[in-house]
Amino acid sequence: MFNYGIYGQIERYLSGGMAAEEKAAFEALINTDLRLAEKVREHEQLLKAMHQYGQRKSLKQQLNRIHAEMEAEAEPIKVTATPAPWQVFWKRHAQTVAVAASVSLLSVFGTLWSVQQLKAPVRQQTARYIELRREMEKIKQEQRAIIKGISNAEAAAVAPRPARFSGTGFAVSADGYIVTSSHVTEGADSVLIENKAGLKYKVKEVYRSQEHDLSILKVDDPSFGGFGKLPYTFKTNPSDLGERVYTLGYPREDIVFGEGSLSSASGFEGDTTSYQISIPLNPGNSGGPLLDDKGNIIGVISGKQAGQEGAAFAVKSAYLLQMITDMPAATANMLPLTLPKSNALAGNSRTQQLKKMKDYVFVVKVYN
Amino acid sequence: MKKSLYETDEAIVDGIRNDDNRALAHLYKLYFPMISHFILNNNGTEDEAKDIYQEGVIVFYEKIRDNSLELTCQIKTYLYSVCRRLWLKKLAEKGRYMVKVEDSDNFLGLEEDIPRHEENERQFNVMADALSQLGEPCRSLLEDYYFRTQNMQDITEKFGYTNTDTAKNQKYKCLQRLKKIFFAAYKPEV
Repeated sequence: MFNYGIYGQIERYLSGGMAAEEKAAFEALINTDLRLAEKVREHEQLLKAMHQYGQRKSLKQQLNRIHAEMEAEAEPIKVTATPAPWQVFWKRHAQTVAVAASVSLLSVFGTLWSVQQLKAPVRQQTARYIELRREMEKIKQEQRAIIKGISNAEAAAVAPRPARFSGTGFAVSADGYIVTSSHVTEGADSVLIENKAGLKYKVKEVYRSQEHDLSILKVDDPSFGGFGKLPYTFKTNPSDLGERVYTLGYPREDIVFGEGSLSSASGFEGDTTSYQISIPLNPGNSGGPLLDDKGNIIGVISGKQAGQEGAAFAVKSAYLLQMITDMPAATANMLPLTLPKSNALAGNSRTQQLKKMKDYVFVVKVYN
Repeated sequence: MKKSLYETDEAIVDGIRNDDNRALAHLYKLYFPMISHFILNNNGTEDEAKDIYQEGVIVFYEKIRDNSLELTCQIKTYLYSVCRRLWLKKLAEKGRYMVKVEDSDNFLGLEEDIPRHEENERQFNVMADALSQLGEPCRSLLEDYYFRTQNMQDITEKFGYTNTDTAKNQKYKCLQRLKKIFFAAYKPEV
């Protein structure tokens, strides 16, 4: 048949199997016959496509074979490594799951945190309340400690140096009697007094009252000729609340003036033998005189309350006087003290009062 | 021994050029884990990885056989780039517009290679369709003659034709039909 015959020719032409003259004749034929030319072109394309198809198919087969071979090689490992469905699922969705998990975690903890924040002020209030109570408890403990300190005379009012303490004392009579806090002279071997004017005397403790924290010292010096006339007097009646009071003392090597008011008629934990005064006091002030505006001694500084602002205490002068009257009876061969009768301070300005007074206030140095 | 034979990229390319199946096998096994890892990490399955990788290897292989490959980078990078492109396309077809793909390597643009590969792929699919539509024994006959290049004598015997001329005529008949089917579906874009 012509049709199939021409295919044979075309194929031979395309594969280059024609002899030179036959090829030339065929090419001439192509040039004249457009239909033939089209057929040749189509055939060429088809053959090319088929060729490529064949090549690619065999290549694919080969690759599949290689793949199978490779899998076979990896088989022993793959048995264990075959991903379970859940593993595939996990691999695919791990990211999403991670995001979801972190979002939920964040929101949970965020909510918890913000709730906590909202709650915080409420809790703080309760906390403060509790603390307040605890502080009361603490204050009580401290108060007890202070009382103990006061009665044991190892209190804060003594100077820091262990072998040597100091306090304040003042004259109660012109013939050489001095009063100070008994905790100042506790355990003393020898006691010296010294005033601003430079007078220095050795003193001896002649009487002490542990319960009122008071101690009477007497100058024990042959050269001593008396203090002279004392400018202040002792008040026997209780003083009134709010009265302006002041003290002189030796919290350091120089004399220090402190002023305030009588803030309570009773002392530490309702102790009626002392006043509460609002004078800033420091260790060393113990035993100092507490005077009112008119220059009456109304008490003897004894201590303060730790952790409490402006709460210092002074033993009332009535108890000092009572002690002084008790003293001769308790002590053998002792004459009653002659207390000052006239007050030279009343009506004077505060600075004048201090000038007159300061020579009768002593630093009490305790050696042991 | 086998490994050291194809240590370098050049050795592999030469091997493929010389039709050395072992070179191809070596290449295939060498880089499959990388591509498999990439596909699996980007929402693919093992089977998809295999398909994509084979396509990539085919692109590479055909380029070498065409002698049109100018390898300016490592084979590894080239394969990775091709597979990456193919996989992105596949993802787009699947309707999952992954904006971001986790890259473990740098890659090439491959502006030319991929379109050409797609054209070839299309042709390949059309031809496969055409051949399957052709039916037996035409298909086997054509495949035997053109792909396996058996001579007409063997074919005549195999298919039980009386002589080679009958076989030839039968072959041309089949070819005629294939041509019709093929060109009905395939319009070259060039």
